[in-house]
Amino acid sequence: MTQTTVAVTHPSSPHALSDIITRLESGGALLPDTPENLIEVVGILKSYGVVLDAYQRNLQYIAEHQFLVLFPFFKYFDGKVTLQKLLKHWWHDRINYEYAEYCMRGMLWHGAEGVDQYLDSEEFRQRAMAAIQARGKGHLLAQAIGSLFPEFALEQVRMLVYYSILGQFWDVMSRMFLDLSDRYDRGEIQSIPAVVEHIQNGLVEAATKPMVYAVTLKGKTYEIVPKSAGLTFLMDAAVPYVEAVFFRLFPFFGTVSYNAQAHQVPEDQAEFGYGALFADALPIGGAGIPPTLLMQDMTHYIPDYLHEVYLKGLRGEDDLRVKIGISFQKSMFCVTTAAMMGLMPHPRTTTDPAQREENRRYLEGWMDRLVHTQLLNVQ
Amino acid sequence: MLSALIWVPVLGAVFIALLPESLVARTRQIALAIASAVGIWTIILASQFDVGIPGLQFQESLPWIESLGLTYQLGIDGLSMPLILINSLLVWIAIYASDPNINRPRLYYVLMLVLGGAVAGAFVAQNLLLFFLFYEVELIPLYLVIAIWGGARRGYAATKFLIYTAASGVLILAAFFGLAIISETNSFDYDVVQSQVLPLTTQLLLLIPLVVGFGIKIPVVPFHTWLPDAHVEAPTPASVLLAGVLLKLGTYGLLRFGLGLFPEAWTEIAPWLAWIAVLSVLYGSFAAIAQTDMKKIVAYSSVGHMGYIILASAVATPLSLTGTVAQMISHGLISALLFLLVGVVYSKTGTRDINVLRGLLNPERGLPLIGSLMVVGAMASAGIPGMVGFVAEFIVYRGSLPAFPLQTLLCMVGTGLTAVYFLILINRVFFGRLPESLANLPRIRWQDRLPSIIVTVLVIVLGIQPSWMLRWSNVTIQAMGMEEVNRLVQVESESTRLAETVGDSESVRRLVESTETVPLTSMTNPNSIAFTPGKEAASDKSTEPLGDRLIDNSLPHSKLKPNI
Repeated sequence: MTQTTVAVTHPSSPHALSDIITRLESGGALLPDTPENLIEVVGILKSYGVVLDAYQRNLQYIAEHQFLVLFPFFKYFDGKVTLQKLLKHWWHDRINYEYAEYCMRGMLWHGAEGVDQYLDSEEFRQRAMAAIQARGKGHLLAQAIGSLFPEFALEQVRMLVYYSILGQFWDVMSRMFLDLSDRYDRGEIQSIPAVVEHIQNGLVEAATKPMVYAVTLKGKTYEIVPKSAGLTFLMDAAVPYVEAVFFRLFPFFGTVSYNAQAHQVPEDQAEFGYGALFADALPIGGAGIPPTLLMQDMTHYIPDYLHEVYLKGLRGEDDLRVKIGISFQKSMFCVTTAAMMGLMPHPRTTTDPAQREENRRYLEGWMDRLVHTQLLNVQ
Repeated sequence: MLSALIWVPVLGAVFIALLPESLVARTRQIALAIASAVGIWTIILASQFDVGIPGLQFQESLPWIESLGLTYQLGIDGLSMPLILINSLLVWIAIYASDPNINRPRLYYVLMLVLGGAVAGAFVAQNLLLFFLFYEVELIPLYLVIAIWGGARRGYAATKFLIYTAASGVLILAAFFGLAIISETNSFDYDVVQSQVLPLTTQLLLLIPLVVGFGIKIPVVPFHTWLPDAHVEAPTPASVLLAGVLLKLGTYGLLRFGLGLFPEAWTEIAPWLAWIAVLSVLYGSFAAIAQTDMKKIVAYSSVGHMGYIILASAVATPLSLTGTVAQMISHGLISALLFLLVGVVYSKTGTRDINVLRGLLNPERGLPLIGSLMVVGAMASAGIPGMVGFVAEFIVYRGSLPAFPLQTLLCMVGTGLTAVYFLILINRVFFGRLPESLANLPRIRWQDRLPSIIVTVLVIVLGIQPSWMLRWSNVTIQAMGMEEVNRLVQVESESTRLAETVGDSESVRRLVESTETVPLTSMTNPNSIAFTPGKEAASDKSTEPLGDRLIDNSLPHSKLKPNI
């Protein structure tokens, strides 16, 4: 796909974010195209790509090798348990895989329409039960729990499906971000729209990639989510991910102050606004809260050119995680832009007035959701 | 040996003043080296100080202007040793915490060193005129520091400071001259004038201007108004020295010269002093609650906390006097810590307004360590156990309660109010979300953190192990207090007016005997408080203040004077 600028001939949108709508219709992105933004976005996506790769490997390891393990003490070790690794784990000088699980739980809780339909189907139940029974053979405790709470193991398998789907999604995304970084290093990426285009192309390319999940127990492979289930990358992983992680997620303690009893947390999940695009880069006290876990992980993989930019700030290294958080948020607006443009009902360059009007309504709908995010703060 | 405490900084100041231009950039390091040398010397002195001797040590005496009765007579005892230690520490910290890019560095560090030397001189001077000389000399550098490096209203604040403290000096000098003239000794040497016998009325006439003079310095309400202005306008290092050491000159002077020279009159005015303490504590605390400037809150807090020292001084028992020393050290450290922290907040944010500041505990872009230390400082100031403030206030209250129960209880309200104003400050300034306007604060350097960390460690260590703080003064204070007790015994045996209270007399004798058999170091153990005069007085049938029961004008006054 190539970037094409189209002259806007119809009047500006009356929407409060009409400037951004105009920019999007002109081939721009939610994030303004500046050299500083480009360095921040590409640099942070490089480190994010490295971290995502670690996350996805672990998520898929858990899905495939920690299948119904009742006490998964070493689930973050990817099957390689050594004393050195254990000490590193306890010292917390490691990738915080907990963040990946938070995101997985976010997706599970907010749901993905196609995935949930399949998980509620009889086909899934039969396939999952076969695996559960295979796992239970020779495990008295697992059998006992399965007998007492027949839905427990099934629900665990549903969660493992989300582990797997998020792992597969992040596998694609991490390669996409690292490829973006390589292209930037080669001088092929020189603007924010180019970043968006790269991501959009990647999403389109992987759009129909099937999401599958299988476990191998005692030498036999159990296909729990077969290709025939029809779950695909874009609609059953990317879109639910954006909805759950970018927009909704949870009211993480430390990022926002809330009183659930006073109904300060919306009762309708669809009204949740605690996702990455809403996140406050300045956490209020505390430590180890999920968004800062990701920031902490990314500190280890910041490319030198971005690190130099950060060091020029007044606080130098002191507020590195905040700077990373802000850059990460900028990069996520680029990913959101790519998702928006990829799902646009008609080509952005269409000349048909009716189609353009429909596109505009579509963008205004997105702006309604984005108006309370940090979008205005990154302009 | 003691002269080094005075003359090393003064000669160091002269050296800095004469520095060639090429070395001006290193003024701060040189000043720091001089302050370090003084600090090391103070530690050496402290290590050689015999804590078992109640009287003066390391005495030096040189004739100076003998026709005026002025001799260069120095000495140090358990009352002045802790204050000398604090002075050396805080001078070093004040220099270390000074802005490395301060304008006119040569003059600034000259003044800081002269200030430190003059304060040390005042604490070790054993001649009244010599004390007055040092007392007055320290005004000049502080006045200049405020007037030159102060805030927007520095001229007003410095002038007010000068007028008030000059008035204080005039009153003190008048009292000293009066003492010399009336006693016809033609000497201002402390030991000479102390041995003079004066009638009560004369003592009162001399003590009252002395109390007012030192009361201005402390300051007590209503002579306090110069202090908040001076603190607000003074640069942080000057505030540290002002609150940490200079105010202690007032309480030190009260004990050394008020209680020491006029003990009978002191007993007479003790109830009034206790009420003045109540006024200072409550006024200072309520005024602190009403402030929006962090520095003013700490300044008014100082007014309140100095009131505790007045309360304990008024009682003048061994336990309460231990409380005065503990509170002087405690307040010196805690107020220095709080001013240092407020100084960092101001230097990084450009404001001290608690209605503007918010969320500074933010771990990434706020001042998390400074905020944490502020919480510790506030806890210490509010008398939370485990910190030096608790120990000091507990001893003050325990020592004062039997003699002045109502006044002590009212002062205890002040401790509660301390928690109120500091919680208001901490809640507004450090909690909540960091506003965007404060989200790009300059980087915090180790120079900003280290002084506060050092003082915080002392606040905690001395809170856990208070005997390290009180070991210097135990014997001296015990001697001072025991003179009071002896006097009580003497009075009761000779006075017909108190003949009916024979039971009391016996109890006091028992008290004396028991006190003499108890190791003095146990004074720092709260469990040992049971044997103190305060405890006995608490069980007294009479609820009259100690002073009211001691007055007997027919007694030879020389027997009433503590040997300090």
